[in-house]
Amino acid sequence: MITINQLKKSYKGIAVVDIDHLEIHPGEIIGLVGNNGAGKTTFFRLLLDLIRSNEGEIWSKGNPVTTTEAWKSYTAAYIDEGFLIDYLTPEEYFYFVGKLNQLSKADVDDFLQQYLPFFDDAILDKKKFIRDYSKGNQFKIGIIAALLTRPELLILDEPFANLDPTTQLRLVDMIKTLATDHRMCIIVSSHDINHVSEVSSRILLMERGKIIKDIAGGDTAYEALVDYFKVK
Amino acid sequence: MRLSVFLSHQWLSFWRGRNANKSLALQIIIGFFYLLIFLEIAGLGIALPFFIKELLPGKDPIVVFTSYIIYYYLLGLLARFQLQELPSLSIQPYLAQNISRNTMLRFLHVRSLVHVINFLPLFVFVPFTLVIIAPTYGALSATCFLILQLALVINNHFITMFIKRKSVNNSWYFITVLLLIAGLKGLDYLGVLSFEQTSSYIFMLVLKYPMLCLLGVAMAVITFLVNNRYLRNHLYLEELVNEKKLNISKHYSLLDKYGEIGEIISLELKLIFRNKRPRSTVIISGVILLYGLFFYPQYLKSENFTMLFLFALLVTGIFITNYGQFLFSWQSGHFDGLMSYHLNMKQYIRAKFSLFVVVCSLQFLLSTFYVLMGWRIFPIQLAAFLYSIGVNTFVTIYAATFNYKYLNLTKSASMNFQGIGAVQWLQSLLVAFGPVLVFYLLNRFAGYWVAVGTISLIGIAGLAFNRMLINWLAGQFHFRKHKILEGFRAR
Repeated sequence: MITINQLKKSYKGIAVVDIDHLEIHPGEIIGLVGNNGAGKTTFFRLLLDLIRSNEGEIWSKGNPVTTTEAWKSYTAAYIDEGFLIDYLTPEEYFYFVGKLNQLSKADVDDFLQQYLPFFDDAILDKKKFIRDYSKGNQFKIGIIAALLTRPELLILDEPFANLDPTTQLRLVDMIKTLATDHRMCIIVSSHDINHVSEVSSRILLMERGKIIKDIAGGDTAYEALVDYFKVK
Repeated sequence: MRLSVFLSHQWLSFWRGRNANKSLALQIIIGFFYLLIFLEIAGLGIALPFFIKELLPGKDPIVVFTSYIIYYYLLGLLARFQLQELPSLSIQPYLAQNISRNTMLRFLHVRSLVHVINFLPLFVFVPFTLVIIAPTYGALSATCFLILQLALVINNHFITMFIKRKSVNNSWYFITVLLLIAGLKGLDYLGVLSFEQTSSYIFMLVLKYPMLCLLGVAMAVITFLVNNRYLRNHLYLEELVNEKKLNISKHYSLLDKYGEIGEIISLELKLIFRNKRPRSTVIISGVILLYGLFFYPQYLKSENFTMLFLFALLVTGIFITNYGQFLFSWQSGHFDGLMSYHLNMKQYIRAKFSLFVVVCSLQFLLSTFYVLMGWRIFPIQLAAFLYSIGVNTFVTIYAATFNYKYLNLTKSASMNFQGIGAVQWLQSLLVAFGPVLVFYLLNRFAGYWVAVGTISLIGIAGLAFNRMLINWLAGQFHFRKHKILEGFRAR
């Protein structure tokens, strides 16, 4: 799905992302962990061609992301409010994103039906612009809009941080089903090592731009992470 | 915590705001621009008595001047509602600190008073008073006259603030004041009550009995106290910031037919109608459409076709420059998203171009009414229109790929220099004066029809090659995409 070679991004001579080699496969759920400043969000932005790398290239299904646009048809992401169009209502936003992916209104409505529990009755039919929603609800809107495009690669930056406990648990289930049922490749960053080790099939630990650990998810991963973060 | 600390924080926020970080040269230009405006207005105040004497010989300039003062304040109420903003949000970080309510109230009042619109009138009234009122009526009357004006300015200020805080529906307020003015003018017209005479009667009375100015002062004090009391009782963030729940979920079904491009244009239209700054930018473009009324006749009479062409460019194409200088910045808040959606960049650029063409065609259609002033307007306007959509559109899109500044959509557009850099000034010059120079030379040496024809042909050529130009622009855009993104993220 994704191949990375010698990827390097630095600001003022300090490497923020510095990845020698990385392969990501379809159906994998990657948990990206690391303290603030480890380079997680920068890495995501590089994946989406929102910043230019100093060295190296990211290949998505064999095509470089910087010079091609085909990856946009199967990639979806939610990083922050910068991904939402805040003067639209959630419905308008969903229809807009749907339209860009050749989905009719009816398609979008059908799709939204299955996520009604996730919205918890706080999103739809509220006659409010997205800018007037709370941060948590904005996050829900962003995640669902990303799923709407039926992506093969989904990127979520700290989705657990802004959600209420119920929704966090729902999201964990959602991610697992999406990966197994649709062979979706999902990359999630998080500070919540509990959730992240539960949900991920593979965990990448970042420190100062480098991936210093590449381990399988699960209980052993949880312990390894606790060990790593505790010492400091 | 003292008031001065608040104010010093405001001062810092003004200078340290991300977007205040302009180049020194630009700051000097903007500063110079402001200075010029103030000097011109002060000059107006000084020259006014002589103007009036010249224009209306035999009339007392003071009587003439004072007869328009009430108009001024009524219109001022309208203008203020558009221009002034509640400074409420600026106290957000302080609400939870150990600061007394009174200090915060005082800060809010003082902060709101610091606005151009409160100082501008003084630049007219003070020189006028010094030049003619003081010599005629003496120091006491002159001083009281000025005190009265100051009181009325403050009165207007707090009325506006109060109404804004009460979050009375914007347009209703606007219509009410407008109807009031129209009604008074109507009474004036019918001869029931002379508006201008009343106005000058009141102010002349104050000059005769200076102490009457205390009535004005009392009025200002009352509006201040009402405001103060209201604020004191509502010093909670959710009550200070009037959230507009009003939602016009308008859908542009006409655009559905045009697929992706239609969708992007409909998004852009929502952007314009739902955000303050783009909305006022578009309204200004509409107002400029009226320039023809004021400028066409004189140049038509003197057969100055070059000037006619310049104004025709403004009338038919101002939207391109005005809106287009921030073409991408308007979307700076969600540009990250926009660049990762499944959206083809050529289509995106084409949508921007189409928006320009649609709006300019509308402007052109409306402006055809100017043909009533003389048929020779029409070919010039047509040439200006063709040039605008065939050349200026592409120049503007190209220039916009150099604008890396984040734009806050919720701020008012007037006198707002956020997001303006050297590129924008250069672009405005190029877009307006390039074609005018060409037109001037051709008109001068080859005649009217050659000038009109050549300009039109250049425009048509641009349109003919639009596919090529858009591809090229998409390339240019892609080339600077990361820089634009980086700039937009730095808020």
